[in-house]
Amino acid sequence: MPRPFEKSREIGGPDPIDVGVSDRRLPLRALVPRLLRRRAALGLAPAIAPAVIFVPLGVLMGPAFLGLLSPDVLVHLDAVVSVGLAALGVFVGMALKLQSARDRALLGAGCVESSLTIAFVTGAVWYLLTKWGMPLTLPVPLVALTLGICAAASSAGLVEASSDVRHRTATRIADLDDALPILVGGAVVALVASTDAPRVSDALVWTGRTCLVGLTIAVAGWLLFERAHSDAERGVFIIGTLVLLGGSAAYLSASPLLSGMTAGLFWTWTPGRAEQMVRESLRKFQHPLIVLLLLVAGASCRPTVAAVWLFAPLVLFRLAGKLAGGWVAARLLEEVTPGDLGTYLVAPGLLGIAFALNVDQWAGARGGTDILTATVAATLAGEALAMLLVPTKGDAPTEATRTEATPA
Amino acid sequence: MNRLLALLLVVGVTYLITSRVPPPGFAARGTGLALGFTLIAAALAGEIFGRLRLPRITGYLLFGMLCGPYLGEIINSAMARELQFVNGVAIALIAFVAGTEFNLQRLRPRLRAMLEMGAVIILLMWIGLWAVYWAAWPWLPLVPEADALQRLALSALLSTVTVTFSPTVTIAVIAESRARGPLAELVLAVVILGDLMLIVLFTLSSEAVRWSLGEAPLAGAGIVSGLAWEIFGSLAFGALVGSIFALYLRGVGREVTVVLLGVCALLSQLGSALHFEPLLAALAAGLVVENIAPPQGDALRDAVERGALPVLVIFFAAAGANLHLAALAEIGLLAIGVSALRLAFIRLGTHLGCRAAGLDSPQARMVWMGLVSQAGVTLGLAILVASEFPGWGEQLATLTVALIALHEMVGPILFRSALARAGEIGKMDEHVPAPRARDGAGEAEAPAQA
Repeated sequence: MPRPFEKSREIGGPDPIDVGVSDRRLPLRALVPRLLRRRAALGLAPAIAPAVIFVPLGVLMGPAFLGLLSPDVLVHLDAVVSVGLAALGVFVGMALKLQSARDRALLGAGCVESSLTIAFVTGAVWYLLTKWGMPLTLPVPLVALTLGICAAASSAGLVEASSDVRHRTATRIADLDDALPILVGGAVVALVASTDAPRVSDALVWTGRTCLVGLTIAVAGWLLFERAHSDAERGVFIIGTLVLLGGSAAYLSASPLLSGMTAGLFWTWTPGRAEQMVRESLRKFQHPLIVLLLLVAGASCRPTVAAVWLFAPLVLFRLAGKLAGGWVAARLLEEVTPGDLGTYLVAPGLLGIAFALNVDQWAGARGGTDILTATVAATLAGEALAMLLVPTKGDAPTEATRTEATPA
Repeated sequence: MNRLLALLLVVGVTYLITSRVPPPGFAARGTGLALGFTLIAAALAGEIFGRLRLPRITGYLLFGMLCGPYLGEIINSAMARELQFVNGVAIALIAFVAGTEFNLQRLRPRLRAMLEMGAVIILLMWIGLWAVYWAAWPWLPLVPEADALQRLALSALLSTVTVTFSPTVTIAVIAESRARGPLAELVLAVVILGDLMLIVLFTLSSEAVRWSLGEAPLAGAGIVSGLAWEIFGSLAFGALVGSIFALYLRGVGREVTVVLLGVCALLSQLGSALHFEPLLAALAAGLVVENIAPPQGDALRDAVERGALPVLVIFFAAAGANLHLAALAEIGLLAIGVSALRLAFIRLGTHLGCRAAGLDSPQARMVWMGLVSQAGVTLGLAILVASEFPGWGEQLATLTVALIALHEMVGPILFRSALARAGEIGKMDEHVPAPRARDGAGEAEAPAQA
């Protein structure tokens, strides 16, 4: 019987390695042999978030050290990055499969949590930057909003059969709380990419266009996937659709995450097996794409003064924003205590880096790289904080949880 | 109907984007759009051609031409150039597939006759065209003032470039029509032999041109060692990579599609860096996998099917988009004349080759229909000539590009119709040889999907 809160998106969902080694709190002497015994494509398990491994590897391979990912190579990888972002957007869109009133409640809670985090981080960073008078090329409110969106993403780890209801709820909310940042991020990317004085009305029009383009491509894909004559042909159509989603967004200076999310949402809500087919195909490419995104993000980082100054407030405000957002959102639900939800959502996952990478594509020289570097560093710090803060299945539930939680 | 609607949506949205929005700052930003559009729309165009019993690759080519920078301009010239990034992998993949189709055990009884026939065709074409070019040199728009010795060398070079075949198109037509039989094997053998012989002839004739024009002294030993490195080095490199891949297939056998594409990228990129011929190296790799360490089961077959289709679609659509139709308009009449001459020599060579090799089957007499295509190899040689001999070399390249535009469209159609007449289309799925007894597998492989 399918579990109601099965986590399905985060770096590809259930994977033999994910199931094999997933306990965050294993002692090191037990964890290392278990990791070594595993044969896996990535060679690591969610006990360590992929960003922790591949971002530093990207930094090492980047222009600052080995130079394997030179600026020329990074320019050529730009198209693949857009496709990777679109694929990530498709995963987010497909996670928005709302089958019951409870799912809608969880979406509501996720939106409340992410909007509060965005508002808190944006406001705090805006205030701080104004006070500091830091010289930035991009307008201060735009930088603050971008960092707010980067901070809003969260990942609550993989759900296992033994995971408790708090973990399952938090994981589902972590899946759903990415939708709003991506939607707002669509407008932010349009503002960032604009070389003229950015206007909010234009950005909203561009966001609409991005959704429309994503929807049109999704309809074309939907018409093709189920009617392919062979698996090979279906593969061509699915890859072509994803590449077109990413490529059209890149050409339009728009957000591939948004166009991908629109398409994923469409395939989820329309009849037929399109969603299942896309999911199966993406499973073959998701790990290489995500590794590539992280390597490129690492290689694109530059430790500038602005990035260093942005890093610490981002970590701090994100933690505060998540705890506050989780506290409010938990009041809409029954099974988690206000104190628990925010703690579960401390781990940042990948989407913040993905969005920062998208901003860096359009405004690298105008401050985008500073935002990316700060976000990447804050993500690594967030993962470290999550190792310390996030409750694991080994932890005894609080008294409040025992009384409030309902079995899944 | 659904497919047509999808095609219209994809073409419509791409047209609107590229016509309303100015191209982004640098070309790489348009790559994704061109790639996605090409993958979907060219695949659908190829399918329409398949239904009309025409080669799908002609559909990909025509699609590229119609949407490319010279006609529809949905794909602009920068995007068309960016699409060519798959060329190296595509050529290696196509040659690898050709290698796996060469089962030496099956071909051994006919191998000598096939090679004899190929040698006669190629030499007769080369000598015949050389003689005609030498005689007609004053009327050709290249170097009319050349003296007798220069004319000899220049005619030899022009003849070499004109004779070349297209292994990629030949193998692609065979692969997409799932053809297997005497005609497919014979054409493949002649085309690959032609590729080998023309590497030697091109090196010798371009050295002769340089010497006759007083640009460089004769360098005998250097040429021989260079050729030996290129030919035998390529074969050894390919055999080594093929052995490692065969070991991987037997020992690990996971993610075969990704690893196969990685192997092809290695063969093309590292091979080029080491001055090897990627086509020969990949062919040798395929030969090793098929004849020395054949994989058990369908893993490789499935991987080839999954990996080859997108690569072929992009490769041929990019070739169509980059076809210089302007060259055809500029030098079209001369190109048609040279093409007719080449065709006449191909037919004559096939006729004499059949007699010399003692092959008198209807399939052998149809071999000429598989030798018309020209593409990447020819273009590569023309670009080399243009870069090494500025001026007349560029004019020769224009003529060659016009020839390619003609032969790339006509060649696959002719070859597919020959395969259809020979009754070989679809035979790859009907007759799959059982794995050898030493593999320890008794049952035959399941036929692959069309």
